Amino acid sequence: MTSSSTSSRKNLSKIACNRLQKELTEWQASPPAGFNYKVSDNLQRWVIEVVGAPGTLYANETYRLQVDFPEHYPMEAPQVIFMNPAPMHPHIYSNGHICLDILYDSWSPAMTVSSVCISILSMLSSSTVKQRPEDNDRYVKNCRNGRSPKETRWWFHDDKV
Amino acid sequence: MDSEDDMHDANDLDSLDDDFYSGETEDAPMDYYTDYDDDADDYFDDGDDSDPADSRRPEQNFTILKESDIRQRQEDDISRVAAVLSIPRVAASILLRHYNWSVSKVNDAWFADEEQVRKTVGLLEKKVYENPDANELTCGICFEVYPPSKIQTASCGHPYCFSCWGGYIGTSINDGPGCLMLRCPDPSCGAAVDQDMINLLVSAEDKEKYDRYLLRSYIEDNKKTKWCPAPGCEHAVNFDAGSGSYDVSCLCSYSFCWNCTEEAHRPVDCGTVSKWILKNSAESENMNWILANSKPCPKCKRPIEKNQGCMHMTCTPPCKFEFCWLCLGAWTDHGERTGGFYACNRYEAAKQEGVYDETEKRREMAKNSLERYTHYYERWASNQSSRQKALADLHQMQTINIEKLSDTQCQPESQLKFITEAWLQIVECRRVLKWTYAYGFYLAEHEQGKKQFFEYLQGEAESGLERLHQCAEKELQVFLNGDGPSKDFNDFRTKLAGLTSVTRNYFENLVRALENGLCDVDSNGAASSKATGSKNAAGSSKGRGGRGKGTIRASMSSRITDDNHWSCEQCTYANVRSATACQMCNQPRR
Repeated sequence: MTSSSTSSRKNLSKIACNRLQKELTEWQASPPAGFNYKVSDNLQRWVIEVVGAPGTLYANETYRLQVDFPEHYPMEAPQVIFMNPAPMHPHIYSNGHICLDILYDSWSPAMTVSSVCISILSMLSSSTVKQRPEDNDRYVKNCRNGRSPKETRWWFHDDKV
Repeated sequence: MDSEDDMHDANDLDSLDDDFYSGETEDAPMDYYTDYDDDADDYFDDGDDSDPADSRRPEQNFTILKESDIRQRQEDDISRVAAVLSIPRVAASILLRHYNWSVSKVNDAWFADEEQVRKTVGLLEKKVYENPDANELTCGICFEVYPPSKIQTASCGHPYCFSCWGGYIGTSINDGPGCLMLRCPDPSCGAAVDQDMINLLVSAEDKEKYDRYLLRSYIEDNKKTKWCPAPGCEHAVNFDAGSGSYDVSCLCSYSFCWNCTEEAHRPVDCGTVSKWILKNSAESENMNWILANSKPCPKCKRPIEKNQGCMHMTCTPPCKFEFCWLCLGAWTDHGERTGGFYACNRYEAAKQEGVYDETEKRREMAKNSLERYTHYYERWASNQSSRQKALADLHQMQTINIEKLSDTQCQPESQLKFITEAWLQIVECRRVLKWTYAYGFYLAEHEQGKKQFFEYLQGEAESGLERLHQCAEKELQVFLNGDGPSKDFNDFRTKLAGLTSVTRNYFENLVRALENGLCDVDSNGAASSKATGSKNAAGSSKGRGGRGKGTIRASMSSRITDDNHWSCEQCTYANVRSATACQMCNQPRR
């Protein structure tokens, strides 16, 4: 789905490698509740399993997040998308793109994969209805050819969900 | 005063002692050329040397700022806020940026609720984060452990190493002017990152960029300032709203409208200008083929390219036909030789006389709207290019020809100022005239009275300008190319200076009338006899008669404009009673 953009990405900088090593070590010592890191030897792409929190619309459902890191992580935000099938959610498009400000404009290098994961789970948990965003079809059509969600100009107009 | 009182004759020095100039810059000395002999002194500088090309205004309500001025003002504002609020300069800078560089808004907000302002802007008074171990600190970005000397914090205390700060700030600076509002990287912390930290932590190149953004912000985020829109110009304009026009004139010589930032378009309003510009862009495809750069000579049909500024064309020998570039009619039908009848600005007149092809009426109907537009567009565009040419000529005059003329005619350069003044007047008049065509296009068809009055004033102004332009462009050549001093030079001076002030008066009348919305026209379409411009005429030059609305009546009913003057039949110039021939065109008095 996004492999074309990933393959052309530059390798991680030394700073990014060091930071990711530390994040991974920390993750393995105390993983955030509800998440499971799928072990691989690719530091630049993490695959993380998410289990919907009990008592929410997504309880006991498992989804997978794909996290790709840019050369200058953490100065630049990671690209985070849901792998197919993406959960039905008003802020998650059927191609897996997530409308969440901290992944784009509001990213700060003081955030981590772990803090991003917690935000995403919180977003899922607060949903009251399982449906796609209203503009899903139009958006997904525009995103063909593997465009990254980081190239989208997002409007974060709804902070309730 | 009524308008007749304004019609001083050029030579009537006695009339100068009234309060003619009361509205003009009071303290500017009047700069008569007192060393001219007798009747050559009818021209003078109005004392407003800074932008003589402008239409007069009572006082300048704007200031042009060079980069050094901008920096100075910004520094002064920061110092004032820092002093009044007793905070560091970098904090004052952040506050001002947040309140769009309004010192009063900063003061008001601060003294209303300092705590709230500090929170919003991110100027914390004490740390919100204490490090558990004072000897070993973990950078919140790279998670490496450092001694305190390698760690830097904003007012909040969140620790980051020098290298991560550098990366964080550098990324933000390269993202754009948002870096001016930079906060601590901690997502829950709003502490501001000030310029001292930036100067400590980033490369010289990034510091320079930040500095530029800060300077730009002072102009762009401030409601009272804008950059000059001329390409390559780095000056800014500070504008004090209130009375007066929106026209501002930059040191780079570009004049623009403060309100809409299009080029200066007084007396036409911003709405008309924006409609006209939109219309032009929509019609430009059609215009391209209609308005080729050349026209055939109306007599011999050889193609002619216009390369000079005025509309009086002379075909090359042997044809030598003289015609008007705009209507392609014989020049003898224009201006002085037919008693001042100049109608080439009138769309209806041209149509009624069948100048436009009327044989196929139906086709005509369909073409009519485009043709009407073409009429106005062509005149608008011709004046635009004529103005460009005049600007180039003015430059040529100032840099080369004045000096040359000073040599050949043995005149000090100070005595040749009237030539520069003439060219400045031409440039300004072309600009005004150009916009009056946009005005004319939108003038409602059914308002016949207004339309006639407008076209009358426009025609007067335009014919005056054509005479002036021709005189400055062609008659000057003789003296430029002459071998030595010419005894005719003083006559030329008198003529050109006279034409300059005559034309200025015509245009002032036109500008005033349009700014009044042509409100002096009653329903019958006759110009009201009540003079409008006389109060404002305080700013008009001495010159000779400001031909206000009163003149319409005067020229229709009587050749005598007042007790001291008579109006020339041929060119309508208001001559002193004692003159037996017209001072302007030498027509004998009848």
